[in-house]
Amino acid sequence: MTKSKKEIIGIKSVSKIYNLGDTVVKALDNVSLSINENDYISIMGPSGSGKSTLMNIIGCLDVPTKGTYKFNNEKISEMNDNQLANIRNEKIGFVFQTFNLLPKLNSIQNVEVPLVYSSFARAERSLKAKEALKIVGLEDRMSHKPNELSGGQRQRVAIARALVNKPSIILADEPTGNLDSKSGSEILNFFDSLHKAGNTLIIVTHEDSVAKRAKRRIEIFDGKITLDE
Amino acid sequence: MNKILKNILIGFSAIRSSFTRVFLTSIGLTIGIFTVSIVTAAVSSVDREFAKSIESIGNDKIYVGRMPWSFEFDWWNYRNRPEIKEEQLDYINQYSEYVTQSSMKQNYWTKATYENKASWLQMNGVYPNYNDMMTGTKVVNGRFFSENEWKLQRRVAIIGGSVGEGFFEGEDPIGKKIRLGGVSFEVIGELEKTGSFTPTGSLDQVIIMPTTTFQRILTRWTWNEFVLQIDPNNREKAKDEVRMIMRVARKLKPDEEDNFAVNSADAFTKQFNQMKIAIAGMGLLVTSISLIVSGIGIMNVMFVSVRERTKEIGLRKAMGATNTDILIQFLSEAIAIAIIGGTMGILLIRTTLYFIGSAIANIDINGMGSAIDLQMDLLLTFYTFMVCVFLGLIAGMIPARTAANLNPIDALRHE
Repeated sequence: MTKSKKEIIGIKSVSKIYNLGDTVVKALDNVSLSINENDYISIMGPSGSGKSTLMNIIGCLDVPTKGTYKFNNEKISEMNDNQLANIRNEKIGFVFQTFNLLPKLNSIQNVEVPLVYSSFARAERSLKAKEALKIVGLEDRMSHKPNELSGGQRQRVAIARALVNKPSIILADEPTGNLDSKSGSEILNFFDSLHKAGNTLIIVTHEDSVAKRAKRRIEIFDGKITLDE
Repeated sequence: MNKILKNILIGFSAIRSSFTRVFLTSIGLTIGIFTVSIVTAAVSSVDREFAKSIESIGNDKIYVGRMPWSFEFDWWNYRNRPEIKEEQLDYINQYSEYVTQSSMKQNYWTKATYENKASWLQMNGVYPNYNDMMTGTKVVNGRFFSENEWKLQRRVAIIGGSVGEGFFEGEDPIGKKIRLGGVSFEVIGELEKTGSFTPTGSLDQVIIMPTTTFQRILTRWTWNEFVLQIDPNNREKAKDEVRMIMRVARKLKPDEEDNFAVNSADAFTKQFNQMKIAIAGMGLLVTSISLIVSGIGIMNVMFVSVRERTKEIGLRKAMGATNTDILIQFLSEAIAIAIIGGTMGILLIRTTLYFIGSAIANIDINGMGSAIDLQMDLLLTFYTFMVCVFLGLIAGMIPARTAANLNPIDALRHE
């Protein structure tokens, strides 16, 4: 971690507290974290540790109860729903464990989904989607529907979808969890190459082998960061 | 704007993927729209027919008969009333200030035959001056009977506008012999076709002859009416006056009720308006019920759609869809269902009207054609379309808001 790099994410003493009737659950407890451009980070932790909450906050799907969250120096913690949607649309690429492709749409249409919510014309959308599919090596599967693709190919479509808006960070939640080891390592190799190409990657996982690939490991337990190296 | 359009397209594309469900749901609305259209068309054509009928009854006429023109028919009371007799018309002619012209009009239904064709028609026995008193129609072919023919009880007939078409099929009816109640008559005149109804029957379906011939050949027992020409400005006064003269002519005591009725077009209008309100009211009730039911159907199917696609909503939100984007997407899906139903309704009604239309053309001899000539124009289609959009909007609002307000994290986790 070199100081010269630009900070993308600045989390300062963030807490997320859920009120479940009588009990108060501190999913995140006074967490601070800084993520710079071209970082390659893995976040590990057992279930219930708060890693999903942290991931949701980083992904602007949720807002912290306390503390400040700055994304590219913009204060996320004070934004409304529409502004958050805008940030998610333009700055964040999501990759999910279950791929979350829309079954009725073909590869191009699936990759186009984020572009639909920004102001691109139809022709431009399809051009960008095709480019993204080329990057993940699926130029020959462009008009296939998800059920005509293998697991690894589906995840690559999902990665293309995450890349298509040229986001500031790519947020992957257990990206290899539903894949066999061969396609899993393919995906991870691909992440490595994305990192080399200058992308900022955050991978949430509970597999050591996945976490080892990252240049920086963060472990979280009981809502607190226990390791950051 | 472009963004709204994109969301609408996403909404529409959902229709394609669950077409059976959408189709079945929209049938409810199809039926709803069908009823709306039938009721609207029925009311508007009844209205049109009515205006024509009023014209044929005439604003400048009053009619004296046994029964009032009323749909609240107190048959048991009226049937015992004495028949309207010709000598009472003499009283009216003698004493009335307002009646400028008058004619007897006798009614009797009998079989009319020509060669191998037969039809039940209304026979009218009238005076020669009835020719000047007809409203809404006139002799367009041949002539009316003369004073002499009336005196000599000649077997001459003037036929209504539809009668000739049925019997003579385009040949000139003048001079032809038709049999009325088994007796041969010569056709001397033909009336203009009106296509309208009066309380005493269609003007196109009559055969007119002298009262003298009528009584000699057809029947002595008849259903009689006086047709009295008046100045429409004095109609109420004239009606009062005629009523008093009739009471005197019939020697009614002051405490006895009228045993006759003085009718005019305005009474008929009142009756008719009540009927129209009743038709429209029933129609509105049936229509709103079917629209509400189909609206609930759409709402139901939209809730299913939202539930089924919770994960998709979560994903779209994670990819940057705003609440408004999702709202528009699901609203357009609901509206699309409504429009599909509405379009099917419009097609259904058009087809139905087409078949009714051609069926009516075949039985037009009864003069019914124009009465059920249901109106269906572009404007009505446009209104129907707007009703569908509105209904879709209302029915889709709650499910679409539910979808729009979903929390993306929970929605993504939904299985």
